[in-house]
Amino acid sequence: MTNFAQLFFDATSLGGLYAMAALGIALIFGVMNLVNFAHGEYIAFCVFALIVPSTDAVAVMFLGHAPALILIPVILALGGLVAVASEYAVFRHLRRADPVAMMIASFALGFVIRNALLAAYGGRPKAISLWPGLNMPVNIAGASVPLLQLIVIVTTLLVVTGLALLLKRTRIGLEMRAAAENFTMARLLGVRANRVITGAFALSGALAAAVALIMVTQTGVADVKMGGQIMLVAFIATVLGGLGSLPGAVAAGFLVGIVSVVLQAWLPLEARPFRDAFLYTLVIVCLLLRPQGLFVPASAKPRV
Amino acid sequence: MSKLGVFDISVRYGKVPAVNDLTLHVEEGERVFVSGPNGAGKSSLLKAISGAVATSHGRIEMDGDLLTGRAPEAIARLGLSMVPEGREIFCSLTVEENLRVGTGLRRDADAVDVDIAEIYASFPILGERRSAAAGALSGGQQQMLAIGRALMTNPKLIMVDEPSLGLAPKIVDQVYDTLCALQEERGLTLLIVEQSSLRAARVGGRMVLMRGGRIVSEGNAADMADRDALAAAYFGQSGKQTETAT
Repeated sequence: MTNFAQLFFDATSLGGLYAMAALGIALIFGVMNLVNFAHGEYIAFCVFALIVPSTDAVAVMFLGHAPALILIPVILALGGLVAVASEYAVFRHLRRADPVAMMIASFALGFVIRNALLAAYGGRPKAISLWPGLNMPVNIAGASVPLLQLIVIVTTLLVVTGLALLLKRTRIGLEMRAAAENFTMARLLGVRANRVITGAFALSGALAAAVALIMVTQTGVADVKMGGQIMLVAFIATVLGGLGSLPGAVAAGFLVGIVSVVLQAWLPLEARPFRDAFLYTLVIVCLLLRPQGLFVPASAKPRV
Repeated sequence: MSKLGVFDISVRYGKVPAVNDLTLHVEEGERVFVSGPNGAGKSSLLKAISGAVATSHGRIEMDGDLLTGRAPEAIARLGLSMVPEGREIFCSLTVEENLRVGTGLRRDADAVDVDIAEIYASFPILGERRSAAAGALSGGQQQMLAIGRALMTNPKLIMVDEPSLGLAPKIVDQVYDTLCALQEERGLTLLIVEQSSLRAARVGGRMVLMRGGRIVSEGNAADMADRDALAAAYFGQSGKQTETAT
């Protein structure tokens, strides 16, 4: 029998990671109906920004040399910058285009970023050691928990609270929430589309950077493909939470992480390799029962 | 110079025409009703003026400023506000947040709180429920909120699309009383889409009658209400009407 506390920390830290990634996707979907499949590549980009471009197997730290106090804001800003730049370069020209066209453009953008990384860094995954001390286990409530897991949980809470405060208390936050619900109406009330969209991309990119830092510390690997897997999970979480709903994305991100860890622990040993099959079966069941998403409040439906 | 000048505009959705070469002038402080059957292009006209849909032809001016080709947020900054069909309030936001969305364009940030207090004075129910999710309001309350929200941008001209849609007649009376009082108080210009010509006649003002994307007749709302033109617009009984209603 697995220790319950251990399970709790595993589940919440993984869920927190998924929640942050899902939030990054939901933010952009909210303001421009775009599922940005390049989000995973933003994550990979931020990871590779830590190391010197080379095709060698051993990673040499570049930005990764900097002390955490400088490194973290720089990487977050870099993530925001990449996202905003991609909006300027690609999505701004597709504002009036079909959502499907935008989605395909986001795939294309993802390929461009990924191949640029491949060209600069080579295709082999690299060992990269950022803050190795954080993987030291500490003992809490009888569970042996890597310090990083605690940091992830705290970070997620901080990020989610910070974002909630930003959305709730600031002008740009109010405009983003209004735009997420009804973009045209917000514009009719003088809300500047460019400002809101740029803000959403910047936040989304910064979230991708946060996910990147956590992933790289956790896994110790820089891999061009590392964004793809988490992007998929995060996208599923946003759909599950109700596309465009920010609280829904956070809740569903946590839920997917928790269920995935719980399945890993409780499934019979011979069924464990098929954990993801069970997970996605549950996702399908959820969507069959509530196609609009699990966490969409009834009040979100407009009255006539 | 009229407050609002619409010169020869057309609106198309793909190949489907919604407004055809329409010209309309609204004077400062005037109250103009746009009436006509479903599909006459009334809402499209309002959307074109507000910048929510593009015109394929013609130009629109307000106070001499060209509106055509501007983004909706830029048009809002020039002093035009909209209460759209079906209210379109932000259901997930609170009542007060709804009122604040449109205040970002204002330069007089200090006056915002005063104005919100004024809205609450005009609509006490909104004040009582200021922290409630707007989606939980009744239809009539949502309509009041949509009007209050439009006022918060400090507009000179307000366009209201079908304020009576889905509301009980008594509530509709209230909505119009409020609109008229506000117009008086603030010297607003009102452009209102109203299906019911009888209602327009009771409230009073000028009325233009649309059909097939054109204005087919106009005049004093009270005179128009019982004229043949109305029947003609709705049922196509007049001799010169050859096109079919879209």
